[in-house]
Amino acid sequence: GYYKAAQPEKSAVVIRVKVCLKTQDHFYYCYLNIQVFDEQGKDVTPRPLYHPEPSASLHRQSKILSTQDFSGATGSDFLSSLSMHQTSGVNASLVGPFSRTYGSSSISKSTSTTESMADEIVEPGSRRDTAISLSDVQVRRDEIKEQLTKEDIDKRVDIYLTETETIWLLDMPTVMMSVESEDAEKVQERNKDYIELCKNRVGNDRFVERMMQTLNGAPKNKEVQCEKILMEDKGIMATSWDLYDSFNALETTLTSSVTERSSRPTSLSSSKSNVTKDQSITSSSIIDLESVILARIHEEEEDHSEAILKSEKFQQDLFFMERVLMENVFQPKLAAYRQLPVLIEEEEEEEEEEEEQKETVVSSSILLDLSEAPEEILPPSLERLWSYTCEWTNGHNVSSMAWNKLNPDLLAVGYGQFGFQEQKKGLACCWSLKNPMWPERIYQCDHGVTALDFSLANPNLLAVGMYSGTVAIYNVQTHNTTALLDSSESFDKHIGPVWQLKWIEQDRGTTGDDKGEILISISADGRITKWLIRKGLSCTDLMKLKRTASERKKLTGEKEKKSEALISRQAPGMCFDFHPRNTNIYLAGTEEGHIHKCSCSYNEQFLETYRAHKVGKIK
Amino acid sequence: MAEVEETLKRIQAHKGVIGTIVVNAEGIPIRTTLDNSTTVQYAGLLHQLTMKARSTVRDIDPQNDLTFLRIRSKKHEIMVAPGNL
Repeated sequence: GYYKAAQPEKSAVVIRVKVCLKTQDHFYYCYLNIQVFDEQGKDVTPRPLYHPEPSASLHRQSKILSTQDFSGATGSDFLSSLSMHQTSGVNASLVGPFSRTYGSSSISKSTSTTESMADEIVEPGSRRDTAISLSDVQVRRDEIKEQLTKEDIDKRVDIYLTETETIWLLDMPTVMMSVESEDAEKVQERNKDYIELCKNRVGNDRFVERMMQTLNGAPKNKEVQCEKILMEDKGIMATSWDLYDSFNALETTLTSSVTERSSRPTSLSSSKSNVTKDQSITSSSIIDLESVILARIHEEEEDHSEAILKSEKFQQDLFFMERVLMENVFQPKLAAYRQLPVLIEEEEEEEEEEEEQKETVVSSSILLDLSEAPEEILPPSLERLWSYTCEWTNGHNVSSMAWNKLNPDLLAVGYGQFGFQEQKKGLACCWSLKNPMWPERIYQCDHGVTALDFSLANPNLLAVGMYSGTVAIYNVQTHNTTALLDSSESFDKHIGPVWQLKWIEQDRGTTGDDKGEILISISADGRITKWLIRKGLSCTDLMKLKRTASERKKLTGEKEKKSEALISRQAPGMCFDFHPRNTNIYLAGTEEGHIHKCSCSYNEQFLETYRAHKVGKIK
Repeated sequence: MAEVEETLKRIQAHKGVIGTIVVNAEGIPIRTTLDNSTTVQYAGLLHQLTMKARSTVRDIDPQNDLTFLRIRSKKHEIMVAPGNL
């Protein structure tokens, strides 16, 4: 049967949804009656009159969408509008069963529609079934679902997704007609009417524009606050030396720290120590060492300042500073010495010799060489540039001087008394040109210094001869003030004061040794000794100066005193000098006034003797 | 240590020397013979200048280093011996 809208006696809400679907050129109308409620909420949905069997309904599941329904005499706007656009106006037929409308829809598709019609007609009964069975089907579907969930949860369900066919909601193809056909006039009229309608549309009361708006969700503002971002400005200057330093620092980090630590204690321990103050200084150096180590651990500024004051670099810096100060003060004199142009005035000197001798020392040995040239303008004179003096040297008698062979700015001066009675502790100082106010090195000796000489082969070695006969060798490179070597304990040391020391280069081709330098000394005990530096100072005598008999009148005081002869038969030697070319030959002068020519190869005999001076010391 | 003290004393006692200041790496004076305000002023200014001078020398040749700095003015002369760093 057909569903007819029940004319409710009471008011009822009828919900009808009309859906027009077209699938494969078929128009389908269908109603989906959901439910009908009356005022009290009772379900007054009209129940179907026919209940089909469940098996048959299953078959029709696929055709749910294609269920058809008939409209009753409800001419909806939709239908009417649809009909208006149909070229072949078959208005009357719309009211009737809807299957008939198909026949008039399109000419070209008449065959298909007839088929569909046939389909429709074939299934009148089934239509009912499908329509009726909607609710039933729906119910059954639930049942089926339940069964599945219970049994086959673990079963693998394959879901196939396919693209659905295009669902056309509205399709109105244009239909064309020839002008010459019968209905052409009608169609043209209708077209005109339509155009006029379109024109009249604007501002016409019959047409109402309507707008729809989608619902927007209510916006919500949300604020978030983060912690304050702290900004800091940092600037750094990249210099090329900075890059160089950091590059080098990578290579020498570990090694430098190790060596620094090891060198620091050594530098502290090698501080100057006088004979009397030896122990106190070593103990203080240990304390210094500890404090330096503490400074490193604690890294406090106070300790650092101490470390600075103790550091070698500081010492060196002070050294430079002092030198610079001296330069400031003594610049004119030094410049004059070097014959450089002086800043303030220019002083010209006439003779070079005089300039060499212009340094003077406090006491006795002032070298004056006044030549008396008969010039009217200015007699050549010596000008005293500066004097090497300091508190240490006050009161000391200068006994000997020697220039360093390598560094002509270095002068070694020995202080010692000549007389026996006046003996006191001696001093050997190394003075530099660059600092006339303080000697570079001060070596304190037990006895007065009587002779000095710098070595030629090793310019850092300074040989010092003393009044006691001791020969000591100092190394002036280090700040160490103790002698490198001392002959005070050797067996063959001199007994009398050493009057002259000299470093001589000697060929020793015969013995097989290399050409070396040896130290030769002559002393008042009458021996000329050759000192060798092998393990310590050892000496061999080159010559013993014997008293020679004089051919002339003998002075009574010299030889015939038996006491003297018993004491020594040797004449005190005062000085000597080697032959400049033949280092085997040397001349020695004695207290007697004789000059002996000797040879190194002969130990016993003189080669020759020259008698010149009667008595006296020769230098 | 004793030698350092000696040398320092000698320099200070030298004729023509007005004062001496010994300064550490940060430019803070550790020894001085001048009054406090002058010391602080000199130390601060000279430290900066020495840094700049050293930077200049090393920028030209990174293997080089500043050894001595002398500033001669109308009235005095300032001599700076820069240490390490």
